[in-house]
Amino acid sequence: MAAPVCLEYRIEGNNFMTAGTASNNIKNTLKMLGIQSEVCRRAAVIAYEAEINLVIHANGGILKAVISEDRLEITAKDEGPGIPDIEQAMTEGYTTASNQAREMGFGAGMGLPNIKRNSDLFEIESTPGEGTMLKSTVFFNK
Amino acid sequence: MEHSIKVSKDACQGCVNCIRVCPTEAIRVVDGEIDIIEELCIDCGECLRSCCRSALGIYEDDWNRTKESSRAMIVPDPVFFSQFSHYGRPDDLEEVLSSLDLKTLIDEAEDAFDLSAYAVAQLINRSSKTALPVISVYCPSVLRLIQTKFPELLSRVVPVLSPLEIAATLWRMRTNSDAPLTLLAPCPAKITMVREPFDKTASPLTSAVTVRKVARSIMAEGDINVEKGPAPKKRNNRWIQWARRGGESRHVQAFSDRKLTILAVSGMRNTLDTLQELELGRLRGVDFIECRVCDTGCVGGVGTADSRFLANLRMGSIETDWNISPKELSRAEELFTMGIWPVKNEYQPRPRLPLSDNLADAMVKLQQMKEIYNGLPHIDCGSCGRPSCQAMAEEIVRGHGSVTDCIFKLREGISALANQIVKLSESQPHTLKRKGGKC
Repeated sequence: MAAPVCLEYRIEGNNFMTAGTASNNIKNTLKMLGIQSEVCRRAAVIAYEAEINLVIHANGGILKAVISEDRLEITAKDEGPGIPDIEQAMTEGYTTASNQAREMGFGAGMGLPNIKRNSDLFEIESTPGEGTMLKSTVFFNK
Repeated sequence: MEHSIKVSKDACQGCVNCIRVCPTEAIRVVDGEIDIIEELCIDCGECLRSCCRSALGIYEDDWNRTKESSRAMIVPDPVFFSQFSHYGRPDDLEEVLSSLDLKTLIDEAEDAFDLSAYAVAQLINRSSKTALPVISVYCPSVLRLIQTKFPELLSRVVPVLSPLEIAATLWRMRTNSDAPLTLLAPCPAKITMVREPFDKTASPLTSAVTVRKVARSIMAEGDINVEKGPAPKKRNNRWIQWARRGGESRHVQAFSDRKLTILAVSGMRNTLDTLQELELGRLRGVDFIECRVCDTGCVGGVGTADSRFLANLRMGSIETDWNISPKELSRAEELFTMGIWPVKNEYQPRPRLPLSDNLADAMVKLQQMKEIYNGLPHIDCGSCGRPSCQAMAEEIVRGHGSVTDCIFKLREGISALANQIVKLSESQPHTLKRKGGKC
């Protein structure tokens, strides 16, 4: 077994201009490793939505991708406001994004549902006032 | 894979201007000369713009051969009609070409561009909301860019042949002739489209020369008198507007029943940003995207003769009728059913090779690459002949090159070696007297 490849990015809160850089980097790394195009596409969506969530909701946080030989694990960890009702947050179209974020074309309420739809395993834990931890896994050969 | 960029090895000084502007990082300097990686080149011509020694040029077919053959057939790119200040009307230019014994396929071009716009409007209409926006395929470099850098977007590229190719096909069908057809192209990308068509089958066009070459050849003929009488035939000139940004979009809109949301951008940077944003899912609600890698659109191509700004202005003063008459609509519908417009084969991605076919091996190489990269200066100076420190690290792990190709690492190495020499020179064999020491 080769040692897993770890990619870690500190995401700045409310910086819309650089949003997407980290997820783009993760996708390019997967391509360089020769991962199938469809898996790259799904991983890119997950990483991007998780990154955007950190930017618009959590005032920044850490986005981490761990690539092993059989899977990719993406973790987004923040110390933001947390999610009081996760079930509601997972509903398509539900959003708490600021007007500024929405004017920029973000915050359509599709982020978490999109991540879940593209993940093979999906976990989310959140404590209001303390922060949120999201973990998504994609297997390479299903 | 065939291309239309040529390198003059004598003129190339091995400077690194071109390798840094290439959007797909396709150029390297090896042994003081540039080398283009064929699989990555998209024929956009950005490198030509950056070369101050004219070491890069367009590899085009021989215009004199076309010109000297009797009744040669010409398929002009719309840009051609924007290059002259004294032949203002497209009809004037047709007459000029005719006086030089060249036949221009204008009727066919009008039909073909109408058909192409109609086909795109139909595709947009029939697409589901998630399949939108679709992307224009008129700029061949944009398609090649998507194949190389954004393969996930390929399904959004409209499967419609270039109207320039359709015009040639229409003419061949009407005349049943296999006489040579020459495309007047504003850029290397459209020349490559003739040499290496996307659909793999042979192009209906035979050869391609630059608009610049032909425009200069016409200028060299001196003033040709054209009759200033009324135009022989009423032209709508819609197709000519494709020469500038937004022309195609307006044409597609003219054929659409509903108001479309269209994004029309030009220039390499704007094209890259648009595709990137689209890939990230940010462009929801847009129906059609028109990207041109050249600034201001095709009039900004590297194979044109006149200023893109003037050409763009002249385009604005060409009288254009955007209303589709019922007759023109039924003509487009008729051609649509003939099946001469669709691209038969799916567009294939042209991705970069992974570091290794074996994932575990690729992961090891990726770690090595990271380590090498961390030791490099990260200023992307290009002195190693590669476009960036990242590209250099990648090539080293792929087995092409060594860390000492980096002049900063080489300098560090020399300095370490020099220190070691000094140190060695201080150690003495026992048989020698120590300097300043006692006997």
